[in-house]
Amino acid sequence: MEVVNQKSALLSNYEVLTLLRELENDHLARTRTALRIKKEEEAAGIARTHAPPEEVLENLRTVEVEAIQHLSAEYQPTSSQSEAGIERLTRSLAAYDLTKAEKLQIVNLAPTEAVELYVIVEELEDRLGGQLDDILTAVRESLTSTPVAERSTEENAVEEIVYQAGEAEDYEGWDANDMVFDDTGEGAGVEGDLDVDDD
Amino acid sequence: MFVLSILKDTVAVHPSQFGLPPEQALTNELNKKYANKVLHDVGLCICVFDISEAGEGKVRYGDGFLWYKVVFRMVVFRPFASEVMLAKVKSSDEDGIRLSVGFFDDMYVPLVYLPEPCAFDPNERAHFWLPGSEATSSHELLDSPTVNRMYIDAGEIVRVRVEADEFYDDEPGPPKALEGVQQTGQLENRRSPYTITCSLAEQGLGPVSWWKDAGVEAMDEG
Repeated sequence: MEVVNQKSALLSNYEVLTLLRELENDHLARTRTALRIKKEEEAAGIARTHAPPEEVLENLRTVEVEAIQHLSAEYQPTSSQSEAGIERLTRSLAAYDLTKAEKLQIVNLAPTEAVELYVIVEELEDRLGGQLDDILTAVRESLTSTPVAERSTEENAVEEIVYQAGEAEDYEGWDANDMVFDDTGEGAGVEGDLDVDDD
Repeated sequence: MFVLSILKDTVAVHPSQFGLPPEQALTNELNKKYANKVLHDVGLCICVFDISEAGEGKVRYGDGFLWYKVVFRMVVFRPFASEVMLAKVKSSDEDGIRLSVGFFDDMYVPLVYLPEPCAFDPNERAHFWLPGSEATSSHELLDSPTVNRMYIDAGEIVRVRVEADEFYDDEPGPPKALEGVQQTGQLENRRSPYTITCSLAEQGLGPVSWWKDAGVEAMDEG
């Protein structure tokens, strides 16, 4: 083993979370297919002689699950962040005299209050005294507003359940339905009724 | 918090994995080897980001493995000095506070990096901060009314600044034989390979709830 470059690039929390979620979904999909194939073969009465041994990457699974838990916890801003939002934010941050590390931390922590920004940026007053509120506004604009964020985490939860139930195909349709539900702006109380309608 | 590191390694792929696309088989092998491990002076490896270069798989004399020379990028947990991040309080004792970010929990806040004036309450097993107090000794602080104390309880989310990180590469010593019986599982005085020292002693750091809705005015006071 040889380390070519210890620090070739910095990654934001959101990027890591997206990567880990992809891995997780891959893993779930693969275990599901494996299970289905096994069942089908059992039903057909074929004995598996040349099957490769089931490999579970224990360490990867551990760190994956724990990191996803930490990065998507409700105290992290990741739930209300989106790829487009972050892109917009980094564009608008380019206008200010910030270092790369400071920009990364603004993306990671999404400070919406001055106190938080003071911690991240050194000598904030002297360097960007007047632009403070502009930065905070830019951050706020990059985040989807809180109620939507809460709903989107709910959606995620639903997605996962759907995934586990093994109906990956239905998931697209579900999303579309949910969007319609979003637009009507009705309370959560009618969700059950809507589900019945969907069926 | 996370960086991409470029690493180079030689990977063996077992014949049972020949059915997979080679990049998938290589990624699996690399994840098996590196995920959730600390690399000295690099950090805690999370997972393979991508493979940038892989040679032709070669078969050596003596086994059926395909050996690949691979250059790949790894997602590594390595917060830089002075980075601000969120963590959870894992436990507290007389020497300081231990923090956790779920997948990594060798993060410590020593007493010197706690906000002043601060004392450890042995009844609550938690440190507390007494803002605006003149008291200096911990006795005086412990005499203060409980209402004014701001506790840093276990499980609370704190904003911390990374001050330093250290790597230890302890070699296992020679096996100790006591009365002819080999002692195994002696883990008591093993240092963890990677520790991060964090600070809470700054305006804006500490439990997130302390600073919620605190305006700039509060900053000026402190």
